[in-house]
Amino acid sequence: MLNKEKLGSLFGRIGMGDQSSLWIMGSNEDICVGEIFAIYSKRDNHERVFFYRVLKLHNYLRRVDDLSQVAGTLMVEGDAYLSGIDRNKLIELGGKMLGYAELVENEKGERIWRFKSPRRIPEHLAFVYRPVKGESDVIYCDMLHSQIGGEIYIGDFQIGEDTLDVPVNIESKFLPMHVGIFGSTGAGKSNLMMVLIKSMIDNNLKVIRGQSTSNLVSAFCIDPHDEFATGVDTYGIHDIVKEMDENTRKELFGEFYYLTSHLSATPREIKRYAKEIRILWKEIIPQDLYSIMSFTPQMSAFIEAMYHAHGEDWIEAIIQLDENDDSVDRSNLGSMRAVKRRLKFLENSSIFVDSGQSILPEIYFAMETGKILVVNTSLMSDREQFLLTTIVTRTISDLRRAAKSSGLIRDFEAQCRVRLPISFYNKIERKAKAFYGKGGTTNEHEVRDPRDLPIVMITVEEAPSILNPTLMEGQSVFKDISRQGRKFNMGLLVVSQQVSVLDNVILSQMNTEINLRLGNEREIQACIDNASVNISGFEDEFRVMNRGEALLTASYRDMPIPVRIPLFDDVFKRNRSNYKRMASSRKRDKHII
Amino acid sequence: MLEKILTLEFRKLVTSVIDDIKNYHNRVTEKEFEKDKRRILNELLTEIDVYPPDIVLNEDYLVAAIDGSGSENFFLLDDIRVHLISTATVVLNTNTKFGDPFRPMSNDEVSRVMGKDQPNLDLLWHLGVREDAAEKLAEMFELLYPIEDIPSLVLPFFQDVIQKTIDKLEDLRDTEFGQYIDEFHKMVTLISRGNLLTTSAAHDELRKTAEYAAAKRLLISDIKPRFLLLDGAMSVFIHFARQYPSLPSGFMLRDICKTAREKGTILCAVSKNHTIPFAHRIAKMAEEKFGKNKKWFCLLPSNDDPGGGLHIYSNRTYIPPRLAVPYLFSFSGDNRPSRIDFDRIWWLENIFVEGDPESTRENEIALFRELEFMSRDARWYGYPVPLALAHTECKISYEDLSIAKDILSDVLHESDLDPRFAKSLRSDFNM
Repeated sequence: MLNKEKLGSLFGRIGMGDQSSLWIMGSNEDICVGEIFAIYSKRDNHERVFFYRVLKLHNYLRRVDDLSQVAGTLMVEGDAYLSGIDRNKLIELGGKMLGYAELVENEKGERIWRFKSPRRIPEHLAFVYRPVKGESDVIYCDMLHSQIGGEIYIGDFQIGEDTLDVPVNIESKFLPMHVGIFGSTGAGKSNLMMVLIKSMIDNNLKVIRGQSTSNLVSAFCIDPHDEFATGVDTYGIHDIVKEMDENTRKELFGEFYYLTSHLSATPREIKRYAKEIRILWKEIIPQDLYSIMSFTPQMSAFIEAMYHAHGEDWIEAIIQLDENDDSVDRSNLGSMRAVKRRLKFLENSSIFVDSGQSILPEIYFAMETGKILVVNTSLMSDREQFLLTTIVTRTISDLRRAAKSSGLIRDFEAQCRVRLPISFYNKIERKAKAFYGKGGTTNEHEVRDPRDLPIVMITVEEAPSILNPTLMEGQSVFKDISRQGRKFNMGLLVVSQQVSVLDNVILSQMNTEINLRLGNEREIQACIDNASVNISGFEDEFRVMNRGEALLTASYRDMPIPVRIPLFDDVFKRNRSNYKRMASSRKRDKHII
Repeated sequence: MLEKILTLEFRKLVTSVIDDIKNYHNRVTEKEFEKDKRRILNELLTEIDVYPPDIVLNEDYLVAAIDGSGSENFFLLDDIRVHLISTATVVLNTNTKFGDPFRPMSNDEVSRVMGKDQPNLDLLWHLGVREDAAEKLAEMFELLYPIEDIPSLVLPFFQDVIQKTIDKLEDLRDTEFGQYIDEFHKMVTLISRGNLLTTSAAHDELRKTAEYAAAKRLLISDIKPRFLLLDGAMSVFIHFARQYPSLPSGFMLRDICKTAREKGTILCAVSKNHTIPFAHRIAKMAEEKFGKNKKWFCLLPSNDDPGGGLHIYSNRTYIPPRLAVPYLFSFSGDNRPSRIDFDRIWWLENIFVEGDPESTRENEIALFRELEFMSRDARWYGYPVPLALAHTECKISYEDLSIAKDILSDVLHESDLDPRFAKSLRSDFNM
């Protein structure tokens, strides 16, 4: 039988309610919206602990029907008092049932906690316990294991304004089912991203040290304010890199982790691990542009015709096209001019170039070997940033798609030559075959299932700009990834201030949402409507969220989890020593080149 | 009936009844009131000199209150009626020294001192057959009320009425009550008007006895309250011919009055339902005299008091009650006036000063200052908080009664009795 004292301090008893929402009558304590309470029930000899989240608070005076009237009397009658009122002062809590944990026997005969959706109701007048930090943490960890377990740490289980020492994680296997991070300016998105990047690094560290059997996680992390590397406050991702010994750093990051459009503007200490972003025009295909800007059917037809005629040199061909040339179809002059105007940004771009050394193959190699890349886009235009993200996403997606649909390396190569710009494929061919070939790279070798490869997470910053319904109507690469990414172990990490303007396809495919403080009622409602678990009734709570507080919802979990995302500096300081030593590495599969 | 109630005819009916009452007032009693107006205004209505909100009393004291509640229809087994009776005794400390006025003692502590659970719940039953009814009721009274013997219960009444030394029943031999001495040895013969015991009267008597029993227990306990407040008036049904209480509760009241006096406790009976004619007019006069929201009281003198009784109740023999001194009072301009009764013997000894109306008035003001101070709880402003708390403690709500009847139904079933006894007969016919 459960030792109820471990659940916390006795707070009250349940009153009216049903399996989804309940009223609790509790002692006159300093409670805040968002606190979690545990309700112990033993109905019909089934020992269960129900979890309850406070959404509303009422002051209640026992045996007083009209509290306002009493307050009015105290105001008007200056000599009025309240006799022996303290014991009658109670707090009435209104809130939602989040689910319950039940002690069951597993197949080995061990007693374990199993968490279930709120399909039942606690027994009449059941006792309610308020968790106590430092005392209740362990049992909450056990009871909520299925709801908070995983390799990717997000934050700590929040109870009101405080937290328990109960880490909340996401299982890495669910990352390819896409993650959304929603929050207004100042809600803590950048800090959350840094914590997530650190968690992915920690996951990879455990994998290479043989402490975990989960997949490596690669991430292409857009950093629009150039703050991930050096940090928002004192520490940043670069401090993790610095803490590592040479071997660990090489295993985890390779030669670089920082990408920037202007290497010369990079601080010297980061420059050692930085590379300049250069993507060749040849590596861009029409679909990349369709994903980031809208084209009329006539314009698309013109682009397709030019792509067909000039292959990977299509952009150069369009840009150099002289409308006075006799070969130009003058009936389509309007579309041609419009397309040229749209491609103008490429001419002026410092990262999209017509010749030189491309970084795309190295990005691809990094993604296929479980590396984390921080991409400083602060000096890029929005359009450049979106095109870069699109090209990287489409390239990896096409390669993995080719691998997924191929039995042998021969088939894989054939598919790649159709899907990818040929000059790019030629550069990566050997390594690609090594990544995907099972036991060898000859044409007759089988191809590995992409689900055995590192999980690739692509962040989409300012998501509404490219994940809006207009662009998603066309041939957006993100539409494909959102629907099929999990098959290729590729997920999107969608970061947005708004939920309401995102396309429904993206929202419906998103299986994990980290909902931070939102800007207005419309966004709160959209967030609630699109959450993977039912969080209706949490409106008030969104309104009082502080910076760094979030509600984690996931389709593969029954319970919405309140999380406090710690400051990156704090988590870094807490376990910076982890990075110092290199434990004996597990022998990992080596790619045969 | 709603279709009838919502008609113009019903409105006319209500209007005609109101007019009828007004006519009666105008015809019969208005003239009487006119005779009393000046006296009420100049001699009887008095403004209370209230304590300031932050008063710290020289000596804090205890105040106790008792209230009861019940259901006369808990269940009916043929002609046996079972009553559910609850009582609550609360004790508060004025506690001004600690800035937390009228702090209640815990129920556990009161229970311990009184030797009876607080609040208390009892089931009592009686029969419909006339002689058996009295026998059974008497048995219940004896069960409830803590007495050594019946003569010691009846003597206080006669001692107070006759005002001579009466130590034993035999001392009544030469008085007007001498012929009834034999009736004063058994509880059942104290019920001299058994034919008036309707179900409702029996229930009231059981409830009153339960409350008086609680008062007696408190007064003989170690708790020494300065005030003991009862809910209701100090009215006693007096046998028209014999001139002594026709039911035992009348003797019990005098017994607790005597015990209270001996203990130095001021016994008061407070009733919201005062039955004082022209009370609303007296309240209006008070408002005109002292101003709105002023706190006041008004003595309702008896024929034995200087100046005699008031004309407005001259034909109401129950005002003032026998051996009681009633006052009309108001501690809040928002509420209708209430009534408070004191033991006349105590009043004569402690409030009234023969030939000195000013001293009497000072004593009254001092008394009401205390009563007003204990009536400032914001939940029941203007009503004594001890009584309000006692009421909330003893109240049997509809939901409570319903659950009690569910339990009764179970027990009836276990006892091979028809569980439908727990329900009203109407429910058999879906009425």
